[in-house]
Amino acid sequence: MTTATVDTGGAVLRRTVARNRRRLTVGSALIGVHQVCESLVPILIGVIVDRAVATGDGYALARWIAALGLLFTVLTVAYRFGARQLMQAIADEAHLLRLDLAATVLRPRGLRTEQATGDLLSVATVDTDQTSYVLDYIPRLVGAVVAIGISAAALLAIDVPLGLTVLVGTPLVLLALQAATPALTRRAEAQQELAGEATAVATDLVSGLRPLAGIGATGAAADRYREVSGRSRLAMVRAARAQGAYTAASGVGSALLAGAAAVLAGWFALRGDISVGELITVIGLAQFLMEPMGLLAVIPGWVAQARGSANRIAAVLAAPAVLPEPAAPAEAAPEPELNLAGLSYSTLSDLDLEVRGGEFVAVVATRATDGDALAAVLSGRVPPDDYRGEARLGGSVLGQHRADGWPLHAEPHHPDLFTGTIGSNLTAGAAEGDEPDQELLAAALRASAADQVLRAAPGGLAHPVAERGASLSGGQRQRLALARALLARPPLLVLHHPTTAVDAVTEHAIARGLRALRHPERASGPAQTTVVITSSPALLAVADRVVLVEQGRAVATGTHTDLSRTEDAYRRAVLR
Amino acid sequence: MSDVFTAAVLPIASARDSRRYLSAALRERWPGLAGALAAGAVGAAAGVATVYTLGVLVDRVREGAAVGVVAGVAAVLVGCAVLGGLATGLGTYLTGRLGASVLAELRERVLARVLRLPSAMVEGAGQGDLLSRVGSDATTIGKAVADVIPTMASSVLLGTLSLLAMAGLDWRLGLAGAVAVPLYVLALRWYLPRSSPVYARERLAGAQSSQHLVESLHGVRTVHAYRLLGWRMRGLEAASAARRDLSVSVFTLFTRFVGRVNRAEFLVLSAILVTGFLLVRDGSLTVGETAAAAVLFHRLFNPIGMLLFVFDEVQLAGASLARLVGVVDIPETEEPVAAQEPADASVELVDVVFGYSPGVPVLHGVTLRLAPGERVALVGTTGAGKSTLAAIAAGVLRPDSGAALAGGAPLPKLGPLLRRHIAMVTQETRVFAGPLAADLRLAKPGAADDELRAALSVVDALDWVDALPDGLATAVGEGGHPLTAAQAQQVALARLVLAEPAVVVLDEATAEAGSQGARVLEEAASAAMRGRTALIVAHRLTQAAAADRVCVLEDGRIVEEGHHDELLKADGYYAGLWRAWQARTPTSTETKVRLT
Repeated sequence: MTTATVDTGGAVLRRTVARNRRRLTVGSALIGVHQVCESLVPILIGVIVDRAVATGDGYALARWIAALGLLFTVLTVAYRFGARQLMQAIADEAHLLRLDLAATVLRPRGLRTEQATGDLLSVATVDTDQTSYVLDYIPRLVGAVVAIGISAAALLAIDVPLGLTVLVGTPLVLLALQAATPALTRRAEAQQELAGEATAVATDLVSGLRPLAGIGATGAAADRYREVSGRSRLAMVRAARAQGAYTAASGVGSALLAGAAAVLAGWFALRGDISVGELITVIGLAQFLMEPMGLLAVIPGWVAQARGSANRIAAVLAAPAVLPEPAAPAEAAPEPELNLAGLSYSTLSDLDLEVRGGEFVAVVATRATDGDALAAVLSGRVPPDDYRGEARLGGSVLGQHRADGWPLHAEPHHPDLFTGTIGSNLTAGAAEGDEPDQELLAAALRASAADQVLRAAPGGLAHPVAERGASLSGGQRQRLALARALLARPPLLVLHHPTTAVDAVTEHAIARGLRALRHPERASGPAQTTVVITSSPALLAVADRVVLVEQGRAVATGTHTDLSRTEDAYRRAVLR
Repeated sequence: MSDVFTAAVLPIASARDSRRYLSAALRERWPGLAGALAAGAVGAAAGVATVYTLGVLVDRVREGAAVGVVAGVAAVLVGCAVLGGLATGLGTYLTGRLGASVLAELRERVLARVLRLPSAMVEGAGQGDLLSRVGSDATTIGKAVADVIPTMASSVLLGTLSLLAMAGLDWRLGLAGAVAVPLYVLALRWYLPRSSPVYARERLAGAQSSQHLVESLHGVRTVHAYRLLGWRMRGLEAASAARRDLSVSVFTLFTRFVGRVNRAEFLVLSAILVTGFLLVRDGSLTVGETAAAAVLFHRLFNPIGMLLFVFDEVQLAGASLARLVGVVDIPETEEPVAAQEPADASVELVDVVFGYSPGVPVLHGVTLRLAPGERVALVGTTGAGKSTLAAIAAGVLRPDSGAALAGGAPLPKLGPLLRRHIAMVTQETRVFAGPLAADLRLAKPGAADDELRAALSVVDALDWVDALPDGLATAVGEGGHPLTAAQAQQVALARLVLAEPAVVVLDEATAEAGSQGARVLEEAASAAMRGRTALIVAHRLTQAAAADRVCVLEDGRIVEEGHHDELLKADGYYAGLWRAWQARTPTSTETKVRLT
């Protein structure tokens, strides 16, 4: 989607303007026409009073009311079609930016960024919207300039010194008010921040409702919230005070300015320099001018905000990838064999591990971080520059980006399910459009003990799964994720603590199922290879061999039975 | 775990109940309300007086008065400008203060009510609904109170006073101006019913597209591992495109609404000018007064437009208000006073039958007695009903039939004493955001640091707490210093120690911590339970082995009961579980050894 490089906020905004050029031009022109009409309304009121009401001429009244009708027709039609063009452009642009961002943050080569998920999400939702609004600011700017031009011309045509007074005085009053806005913004931000804090505390406490109720702490929790809510209320009062002061200042300032223009015009009119109609027009225009001039004053702030958003978007779009491209173009799919030699990464130091095709190997790490680090390297998320030593799958280096033909599947420890149904989650790993073989599905469900989950779910495979699987228990999620991995039938499967959320009996059933499905006594298809990082005796007992990792290195290997007999550290780590 | 597939909803207040709540809240604050209204009215009146004075100026000009009259006009204008500006500012402040106070009370009452909701209701409705009420609904109302209400109040006042001023010049002129009211109402009644469903769908589409992205981001490893990028991007594109199309279509409606507003502006402005023309001709109105009326109405274009255009937000805030008032109005069901006190620390479950949905019993008549100080472990496979039985013993759920007693007193009769007598720690470990000390003090408000440290030391957590960057003052929970699952569980146990209940029900997940972590937690739990009657849902059989008595639950019935050793000797169901747990039966006949 990214055609040219958009590595700065300026470039993002330029692209936004460029790819919406046609709609932006038409829309701005029409909004300009709309503003011309708006500024003609007070002028026309003056004319009608002068030419019809004051003269009592019925024909003149009919003529000028018709003119007013025509003016309003042009005004409303220009707005309707101009604004729609612009809205279409804004919505299109926000959509394109959202997709651009999503494709970047989800890309297989990864994103080297310090930003947390929440920040990335806010860039992809809030900042994309903010950036697209620049397509709203430009036509507003055009409209404001046009409206000021028309009003200025009218005022100067009536009387030059009078026109100059209004045209110089209005920006001065607005500038003076502008000086107060940083303080106002600060108060408003403080208020929003505390309101946000109150909401955060409320959701935090409600999320922990069961633990709180369990120890009778709901009263204390309510007190804690009352305290935060009270602070938020005070901040809101402070913000209202600042807003009130600003409203008072702007009200006095603008009323004095409009009053001065009216008094000056009245003086000229009393002297007979200008007509009554012109006097009314001046009164109306002095009032009307505040709006476009006020807009001119705030637009730079809005544009700066859009620019800030565009900068954040650019920072994500331009963030470097984590995984390098392989030096040589991808050869045939590598053999499903692992060879780790002298691997040092995170807490792993000088680890050797070899897994041959068809093997079922379990790894026990006495230190949890060693298991995590090994799982990370095997999953291919760690670029080769980040680890020392050798880590190869067949002939390929682990941690380089591979588009396809990768025989290794590493199932993350924390199972990720997606909104949909149990069925849609299970088949997510299957090739697209491929109906899963019912027999395979049943076998995978049985082996992962996920058949129990399906029995408990009223809708079976069609049972809905809420966002991130929140409607399921940890154990249910874990079993469904395992079933999904088994259904994908990768030549080499890496599992990381796959049974931590299930009970002992189920754990046993899974261990037997895993063995029977991937490593049957009489293999019918191509041999499958499995690596399990675990401390569960049930899983360890069914593995061909177990590798014990202590202080970041592999210190012993053997069957579960052998190691239980000979290794003290092993016994301590796994026997319960 | 059986609540997983059930759903219920929390009540939503009727429009009448919402209005009743609001008017009661405003009545309680009548001095503030009166002040805000008075200040706003003075501000608006000053604005109207300004225009009226200008009309007088127009007439003086037409009469050919002396240039000196301008001085009087100027004096009035300056006075109106200063008074009007100050009064409007004061009105804005008072409105904001009033809104802040009403809002704070509402959200505090909502949260206090939510925290005291009967557990069964929370379990039934699920947390999603509650969270969205205390979260996004409170935010929506907060925004409305801060931004929309003050604007609205001043627009309404200005509109009303302008109309009154026109009627004051001549009632027929007032009538012409009043034509605006039905026209605007018609425009709104055309627009709101059409736009609100589209807005609702647009918000939903927006939520769906962010949800899709959040899920993809959180599950990015899975997305890559299964090469699901195409699938996720297609889903995202569909959701995002739906949002785009809805926002364009709702905006198209909006431009048609603006067209109707423009039409109303034209019609009313013409009506005022024509009426003025006729009245000037028959001599009952001056030219200046007609001009003043026209300018008055032209000055209303912006505030009235603002008022009409924020109506969506007002509607939205109204919907949120109904959802919050709905929570506040949930009648209190808990017995207000303790009707009976427990005689001792014993617990008794007599012939307890329970099901989450009618006709699907989870427990079929379970009877279980715990002597004071006894430690009983519940054992069984997932879905056997262990957690349900624990929740009934803790008074979280009520049996459909049968009884749950503590020290001879039925649990519902304990009222507020219940939670001081029986505490429960569940699988849900949650560390609350803020300093660790504040988290612990939830269990015992006002506890001294020494007490907190003593409790932490009981559960063997003092070492790592002291190693935190700021010790007890370290911010933990969301956005704070991350704690491991085992540490979070220790914090939960320390809270239990601080709460000092006579009876403890423990249904915690220890497996997540891995074998070694689990052992530490078991010891911590054991220390926390010392001297108390304890019912433990044993996720690890070592917990059962250490208990005074083991109850094996299968399909909602107790199938075996006795001490660990007795049950092993009996070689029944439990003995089978124990062997499976210890993994001493080799399930694989292959014992190949390959050394690398």
